[in-house]
Amino acid sequence: MKRPKFRLMMAVFGLGYLAALGWVFTRSTPLISGRPITIRFTHWQIEKGPPEGFDAVIKRYEELNPRVKVEQLTVPGPVYRQWVRTNLTGGTGSDLIEFAYWLQGMNDVPVRYFEPLTRYMEKPNPYDRGTPMEKVPWRLTFDDGLYTMLAQSPEIGQIYGATLTQGSMRLFCNVNLLAKITGRPAVAPTTFEDFRRLSTQVAEYSRRTGHVVHPLAGSFSNAQWLAEFVMVGTLTGMNLELDREGYLQRWPWQSQTDYLLGRWNYHRPEVKAALAMVREFTQQMRPGFSQLSRDDAIQEFVRGDALFIYSGTYDATSLKQLAPFPVEAMRLPQPTKADPVVGPYVLGPYQDGSLGTSFEVYVNKDSPHKAEALDFLYFLTSVEGGQLFMDHSGWLSSIRGVKVPKEMEVYRGTTEGLSAGSQYVGVGANSTMKFWQHLDLLVGAQGSVDKFVDALEPTMLKDITADLRVEIRTNLQVSRAADSEIMAMSALNRLRAPEAERTARQQAMASNQTLTEINEYESLWVLARHGYKQP
Amino acid sequence: MLVCGWPAALSAGEDLVKAWELVGRHLANDALAGLQKNREPDSREARFAEAVVRMDSQPVTDAGLKQVEVQLTGLARGSDEVAQASAYLIGRLYQAHYFTPDYARAALEYEQLAVKYPTSYWAQLGLVKLALLKLYLLPEPATPEARIAEAEALLPRVTVPELQRDLHLVLGRSQLFFAQPMAGVLAHLIAADRIGGLTLLKRGELQLQIGELSRREGRWEQARVYFQRFQDENEIDGRLSNVKLKLAEIAEHIRAEGLRP
Repeated sequence: MKRPKFRLMMAVFGLGYLAALGWVFTRSTPLISGRPITIRFTHWQIEKGPPEGFDAVIKRYEELNPRVKVEQLTVPGPVYRQWVRTNLTGGTGSDLIEFAYWLQGMNDVPVRYFEPLTRYMEKPNPYDRGTPMEKVPWRLTFDDGLYTMLAQSPEIGQIYGATLTQGSMRLFCNVNLLAKITGRPAVAPTTFEDFRRLSTQVAEYSRRTGHVVHPLAGSFSNAQWLAEFVMVGTLTGMNLELDREGYLQRWPWQSQTDYLLGRWNYHRPEVKAALAMVREFTQQMRPGFSQLSRDDAIQEFVRGDALFIYSGTYDATSLKQLAPFPVEAMRLPQPTKADPVVGPYVLGPYQDGSLGTSFEVYVNKDSPHKAEALDFLYFLTSVEGGQLFMDHSGWLSSIRGVKVPKEMEVYRGTTEGLSAGSQYVGVGANSTMKFWQHLDLLVGAQGSVDKFVDALEPTMLKDITADLRVEIRTNLQVSRAADSEIMAMSALNRLRAPEAERTARQQAMASNQTLTEINEYESLWVLARHGYKQP
Repeated sequence: MLVCGWPAALSAGEDLVKAWELVGRHLANDALAGLQKNREPDSREARFAEAVVRMDSQPVTDAGLKQVEVQLTGLARGSDEVAQASAYLIGRLYQAHYFTPDYARAALEYEQLAVKYPTSYWAQLGLVKLALLKLYLLPEPATPEARIAEAEALLPRVTVPELQRDLHLVLGRSQLFFAQPMAGVLAHLIAADRIGGLTLLKRGELQLQIGELSRREGRWEQARVYFQRFQDENEIDGRLSNVKLKLAEIAEHIRAEGLRP
């Protein structure tokens, strides 16, 4: 009696199971990949602009991918390194993370925690379909072809992240104030002579109206940026003259060894002329500026007490939103060969702005949603995503094919103009610290170029010797680390089927190590014979 | 502690591969932890991997490196590639890893390796390092000319193309440094370029170097070729503007001297 009933029950159960299976495989949405998920993206760009830019990109991405929710987390710069390290070590890092090669003490982070993206870079970005970038490999859709990322990669040829923006130092102008000073239509300076004339007009305006205005908003940081630009431009000729190796560019070890060899010092006339130019520029800032911070300068500018502020384009959105007047970005006028101060040393227009792209975003290797994180990164760096980000953040996109408004074109760096490296605001940590420590002797009311140079030079041999020692030590560390990497590539080719890519990396490592050692040993040669020796 | 994750049960060979992969990504401490946790059967490959990993594992001390040297010396007694690589690394220990380098001892190690295995990649890489030691670091010979002559004498012994290229670069740079005639400098740099294989920044720098040094020597056509190559291959570089100016200047000289249309 019971047996047929049991069989019937089993048959019903079996049929029900089969029906359920059939429904799952034919009618239902995918079991796992269809579930809604949330991915998180962390960055430190808490200025005005980027968070709004990301909101716009995320909104559109979520429309295209309703299953994926994206959250942005902003972590302030001062605690960012600790945040990244702690969360990645603890396995709680977000799926996408902003990172930069220059963050101190973090060299191991990319290889340890981030997903290499090289293999994706040679194929087009799927979100670029229907755009001019449709058939272009992802890497080449970035304005610099990710050249900077490749050059700084901890592994030769490996790309770990994608960049979002590019920017430069620019002169931001209070357009209304300019019109009041120069009369309408407002006339912006295009040559350094114009800038000199305008500075005189600003002083007259202050006397006439009683409203004390300075041509440049002042702070120690803003003065540093100005000095670096003026020095590197004026000293291009000296750089090229000292360029024994013919690289058309100078590296710190070259400027250091050349100082020890007596090939340059701060008494050289072109260096003094460049310093005179720094003094002239900084005299256009309010007295005591060297005690003030970057925020003080921004406040001075948005209050309308300074006509210009020289700052990075990363401040552009903040300036435009905070200032109750129209703000326009322009290039800092450059002196020409006719300039009475630096003219004899000017070779021609010098390069103004960075060519590399930045704001690097990395995929967390341990993300549980790596595919979705990569997909969002594709969208973020697509023509559509780049356009949305730029339009809503005011930060110039790194992506080719994005339509840049005319007023933002000036943010772009250019390959036009000469460039040859060293700025000589020090040539290493020790000499640079000494340079800035004495700045008051150059820019203060009682200061002068001679006072500054006389204070700087007596200890420069000692300082630059210390700089060169650091440089040699750094090269030695790089060279030591390469040994095990070279051995690893060779061993992997021995233990597994040899790969051409691995062989190429081994060869490149060995070659780079040898070339690094040439620099290191030439430095050692000079140091031993010409370096500072304790009396 | 193993941060990067080491799969619990890898087969013997895979443990070594995993360790080398970590070393290749500069994660020597992780590699060492993995090797210690998953003891490989004793083999030359396993001992070699451990020696290399220890060279790079923090904290690095002279005492630790001395132990590595003992391990490598044992391995160098064989005749396989591990032996050659071990002997090479002993030279590297004395050249770059010990806190007080012993350049004479490093030179001796490289010389012995090259005599024993003249065609080995590691022996020939050692000869490139030997050239560097002779040019810049050993006390003798005294004059730059004699140093260069000794280093140049190593050139015929280096037959691996990319190592021959690197030795040419070493020789070219040293002659520039010691203010030797430019003809010799350029001969070495051009020989390096002909062998080829440099990538990215190094490739561009060599092109610029040959272009600029040729220009200074008035070798206009040669300068033009190399500057042009740099310009064609580099869309993004701060030196492009300068290169354009140089090309214009060179074109004028070529026109004036009727060298080319």
